Amino acid sequence: MLLYISVYVGIYFNVNELKKSTLSLTKHDHILHNTVKLKILLAENNHAKAKALISILTNTEYDIHHIAHSGVPLLKDVEQLNPDIIIIDIESPDRDMLENLNKISQFAPKPIIVFSEQQHPNPTINQLVKSGVSAYVVGEVSQQRVKSVVEVAIARFGVFQGLKQELADTKQKLSSQKNIDKAKRWLMETKQLSEVDAYNFIRKIAMDNSQKMDDVAKNILSVASIF
Amino acid sequence: MFNVEKKNITLGFMPLTDSAPVIIAHEMGMFKKWGLNVSLNKQNSWATLRDKLHLGVIDAAQMLAPMPIASQLGLYGQKSQVITPIILSRNGNGITLSTKLYKKILTQQNTTKIDMPFSANILLNEIEKRKKEGNKLTFAVVFPYSCHYYQLIEWLNRSNIALSDINLLIVPPSDMMPSMQSGDLDGFCVGGPWNAKAVREGVGITGVTSSDLYQNSPEKVLGLMSNWQQQHPQTTLALVSALYEACQWLENIPNRFEAARLLSRSCYLDTNIDVIAPSLLGSCLTFNNTTPRKIPTYNQFSTLGDAEFNNPGQYSGENIANLMKESGHISSQQRAELNIAAIFRKDIYERAINSPKCN
Repeated sequence: MLLYISVYVGIYFNVNELKKSTLSLTKHDHILHNTVKLKILLAENNHAKAKALISILTNTEYDIHHIAHSGVPLLKDVEQLNPDIIIIDIESPDRDMLENLNKISQFAPKPIIVFSEQQHPNPTINQLVKSGVSAYVVGEVSQQRVKSVVEVAIARFGVFQGLKQELADTKQKLSSQKNIDKAKRWLMETKQLSEVDAYNFIRKIAMDNSQKMDDVAKNILSVASIF
Repeated sequence: MFNVEKKNITLGFMPLTDSAPVIIAHEMGMFKKWGLNVSLNKQNSWATLRDKLHLGVIDAAQMLAPMPIASQLGLYGQKSQVITPIILSRNGNGITLSTKLYKKILTQQNTTKIDMPFSANILLNEIEKRKKEGNKLTFAVVFPYSCHYYQLIEWLNRSNIALSDINLLIVPPSDMMPSMQSGDLDGFCVGGPWNAKAVREGVGITGVTSSDLYQNSPEKVLGLMSNWQQQHPQTTLALVSALYEACQWLENIPNRFEAARLLSRSCYLDTNIDVIAPSLLGSCLTFNNTTPRKIPTYNQFSTLGDAEFNNPGQYSGENIANLMKESGHISSQQRAELNIAAIFRKDIYERAINSPKCN
């Protein structure tokens, strides 16, 4: 039977801090060159395990806080400390609570890093790392490993957030294009303008009022809806 | 008998009253009878159970019914082809309010007793009052993609209470009772034994069960990776057959008490039988020193002589997907693209059930 002893560690980030951090990442080198120390909250009831992790992460670019609470008291600590990163043993019952913070409240989306002391040769591990949400590290938990995993996770999360933002932007662009098209059509029908004139009309109002064309189109459409 | 490809199986479970089918199949020899040597792997969190299944650290898992759909859609980040070949239980959850809140409501309504099942209408005054004070009642469930979550929303919605009218937290089951005791939680929706535990400790009052909200909602299912099932088709059929037999065994009331005894062991729920047995015997503890409510379907694992109960059919799967959509967990587009028949594998179940039985 495969004995699955693991020191899985979940790491959660504050988005704004992260944006600052990811800016300094280069394409070839996922190493943080950030002068601001990232605040890490280590939630671990087992003091021996906590001590081992603290010793790995101290004297690095991380500012580490150890907390031995669980459940709602731990949640309160998270709120109060507002850490950039939370580290938690994957075998902890609190994992569900921390991992789902962003699904049920206004917390920022958070990536997770998972460590396992056991070698586990499975390609899925790499796939999970690539997903940007979880990173799995197998084998011995050495200082270098923990540090590099934290760095990879930050980088991955940056990429993941970037993609999400891109998708949101594209959706936004599509919907504003729709608004502009609709407004154009309304102007063409009611004011007998040509398509180019209708477009220029919207653009001129936008420029004169330092507004986005999308916002002008929305205003036109709300006026149109009165008629 | 099936010609199993893999005899040694690890099966992950969460220590809850409705993990009875996997524990019974292990303890009462159903797995062995079907040629399997199953080791049960107790887990502490749903996310970790899910990850271990995705990674192949465990072969099979007892999961919350919405989890295979969440995995297939990649709601956790990475899409993973999780399927279910059998429904292991239906119903089983309850909504518990803190004794403190309940007493406040009694005073507000100038009464000594509120009829059960409670309607969430009883919360309206307090929600309104807190709105003026700038705070909210706080509820908890154990996992977002869970029937507990959808049932709590359903209960609130029936009284026109929106999710945004309360605070909702995800809290580990073992922390529900202490958090209610400390005043951090006003209510929760969980499975057994956690409702009964809160009642026994005098911390909470269970006023609604999932059976009061809607009958026979799928609760726990067996989860497998699709490629694992393809590589082990006969083993899958043996697993389904053994678990189906365990569910049938659990239909017999005298057996339910025996199940409660087994479940209370330290390797399983590690808790007192007096909080496990009631729901298994169709009794919903409501309030300390009060006659329990009779809810025969509180924990349901099968219906004698009717194989449909455990069938992961289209209807069961579609229902869960609809709940996920209504709660905003999945979009209309995701809902429309969802191929339920590829996740809820009625075909595998029926093949197992219709195979010749072994004695």
